[in-house]
Amino acid sequence: MAQHLTIKDLSLQYSASDPKALSSLSLEVEAGSCCAIIGPTGAGKSSLLHCLAGTMRRHHPESVASGQIQIGETLFNGLPNHILFPIAGLVLQDPYVQISGVRDTVFEEVLFTLENLGMVPQDPRKTIMSLLERLGIDHLADRKPTSLSGGETQRVALAAILIAQPPILLLDEPTTALDSNAQDKLRLILRSLRGRTTVLLTDTQIDFALSIADQILLLDNGTIIFRGDPRTLLSQIHNFSSTLPIESWLQAQSFLSSHEKLSRHRPMIAKALSLK
Amino acid sequence: MRANLDLSSKLALVFLLWVCAFTLSWTFQFVLCLLLVIARFVLPAFRPISQRSAAAFSKFILYSISVAVLVVCLNALFIKSGSMIATLLGFSFYEDGLLFGLRTASRLILLSFSILMFFISTSLPVLIGYLQNKGLPPYLVLMLLLTLHFLDHLPSRIHQIFLAQQARGAPVDAGVFSRTKALLSILSPLVLSSIVESIERGTALELRGFLSKPSPERQPEQVETRVNPLTVCLYFISIVIIAYSIYRWLNI
Amino acid sequence: MPKPIRQRIADEMTGAALPFVAFCIALNLTAGQVTAALKIPLYLDSIGTILVAVLVGPWSAIICGTAANLLAAAFGNPSMIFFIPVVIVIGAFTGFLARKGWFRKWYLVVIGGILQGVLAALVSAPISAYVFGGVMMAGTDFLVLYFRSVGNTLLDSVIFQGLASDPADKVVSYLIVFFLTKNLPQRLLSRLRGATNVR
Repeated sequence: MAQHLTIKDLSLQYSASDPKALSSLSLEVEAGSCCAIIGPTGAGKSSLLHCLAGTMRRHHPESVASGQIQIGETLFNGLPNHILFPIAGLVLQDPYVQISGVRDTVFEEVLFTLENLGMVPQDPRKTIMSLLERLGIDHLADRKPTSLSGGETQRVALAAILIAQPPILLLDEPTTALDSNAQDKLRLILRSLRGRTTVLLTDTQIDFALSIADQILLLDNGTIIFRGDPRTLLSQIHNFSSTLPIESWLQAQSFLSSHEKLSRHRPMIAKALSLK
Repeated sequence: MRANLDLSSKLALVFLLWVCAFTLSWTFQFVLCLLLVIARFVLPAFRPISQRSAAAFSKFILYSISVAVLVVCLNALFIKSGSMIATLLGFSFYEDGLLFGLRTASRLILLSFSILMFFISTSLPVLIGYLQNKGLPPYLVLMLLLTLHFLDHLPSRIHQIFLAQQARGAPVDAGVFSRTKALLSILSPLVLSSIVESIERGTALELRGFLSKPSPERQPEQVETRVNPLTVCLYFISIVIIAYSIYRWLNI
Repeated sequence: MPKPIRQRIADEMTGAALPFVAFCIALNLTAGQVTAALKIPLYLDSIGTILVAVLVGPWSAIICGTAANLLAAAFGNPSMIFFIPVVIVIGAFTGFLARKGWFRKWYLVVIGGILQGVLAALVSAPISAYVFGGVMMAGTDFLVLYFRSVGNTLLDSVIFQGLASDPADKVVSYLIVFFLTKNLPQRLLSRLRGATNVR
């Protein structure tokens, strides 16, 4: 069941001598909703996700953090000291490293997560196949995980996390390795999670976030410079031309709009930007 | 209870063959080697699991014949003690060296055959699963399985880096010292990228709960509580041979 | 109370160390490809073990070397199994030197390589002599035969051969690892346990 996520005044430095990676960041994400965090490289997006997943303190014990993180009823002062999975599941940017490489089929790959957690049900086949079907990869159940395309691997990596039914799902730049078809499929999957899982995803591009998120945060140098819904962001988009590649995005739009031969792509752009 | 050649029996057989390699005479050892070659073709338990294994075995037979000839000849030539048994093209072969060469060759080949027979007829994942059932910690099991995964991909990665370095002018065809420097230019990106990937893979494993819980109490499977009589028999024979060898050695 | 060995190994092989050790086992088995492509007369079959010893720790290095030899035996080189004691010594001794900071200066690396070579020669000699009769199907066999022909025992001949070749081989391997680890970024090194061994 989805849980509410609250972050209060979270600040992070990788070490006492480093500049702040996150600066007094506050955020509330309603249970079951989707929040997208966008911003340029180095803004602190991945750092935030790693703080929430519990890997930050574990891998950077010298890091300095203050503030509070609350997931459901559980409150952490500063950063969690341990990995929070299966409470918070994190899907990394590169799906290929998230495939363990030690299981022969997609089915066994997903089962690996349940084995690790000691949560193997009476009938694992039924549970896992049902999830694979929801993600549109049930036909890949007996395939070797290392032989799949980027989009398929991404969905297997997602299945490997979702099988544990985490109340919070964190996705680190999930569209990086995906073509537009694969992005469409991911969009549908994330929409199907609405109400069941609280989703927090990061991205450097605005398009995917606009089409999926209930709330958008714009992060730059560890600070939130915009917080609101997608429509509000679009109406104020010109204010953020230094942070987002708005100009090149708008130029691409106007180029496509003006070019006769390419005008058929307008519906695609509209679809990518379509608000729910 | 029907005796069959499961993994524990195969390991017991390898142990027995090792004992034979250090205790029996060279003639018996060569006979055992011949029996192993026949077993590979006759017994299902020793059939190669893949074409690659079959090819490795065939290659090893040819290799061992050349080893045997070389070891025997070289020792017979260089160990100049005992009576001279033959002269060929001006080279003299001596009895002590010949016997030593025969003993060495037979031991070497029997030891190698026993290990090779085990591995060509046992797939590594099955062996790793067996070790896991016998108590090998899960992180070591994962390490071995990950190694097999890397072994699949590392050769092509090395090749890519080699081509990339060659394309940027690394001295891959120059003198030995230059080529040694080129070696560093290949190993360096390989090691660096492997550390980066290891960090990400390690994180990914943790994010999937690996080692988050202690291993569950293993309920011994029904079949594991039964002792394979063949395994017991093989170990018993090994102990008898060892005991007899010690007895003979003490009485010499 | 000193920790049991099992716990020490488990402590070392956490996080990034586990996949890195797996990579280094594979490197031990495939490094020969690189030297063959460059036509360099080196084996580098312990390069992964030495890397692990320096960047992770001695116990992981022992596991790395042992697993590499077992897998080499599985892949058609069965004699490698008998040299497991040698790789255990390489892993343990290199890990010990690394913890004492010997991989921070090149001259200490050279001295360490010589010592390692001598140790490896002494440990491998009885194995070569009594299991293989001094014959390893390598060019160095003629060296052993020469030493035997001038009246030395088999064991002595193998020791002399080992002392003639192993120190040089280990010095080169150690220097390669030294140069590989010297310039690694600190942020990467800090994720492996042996970061302080090279800085």
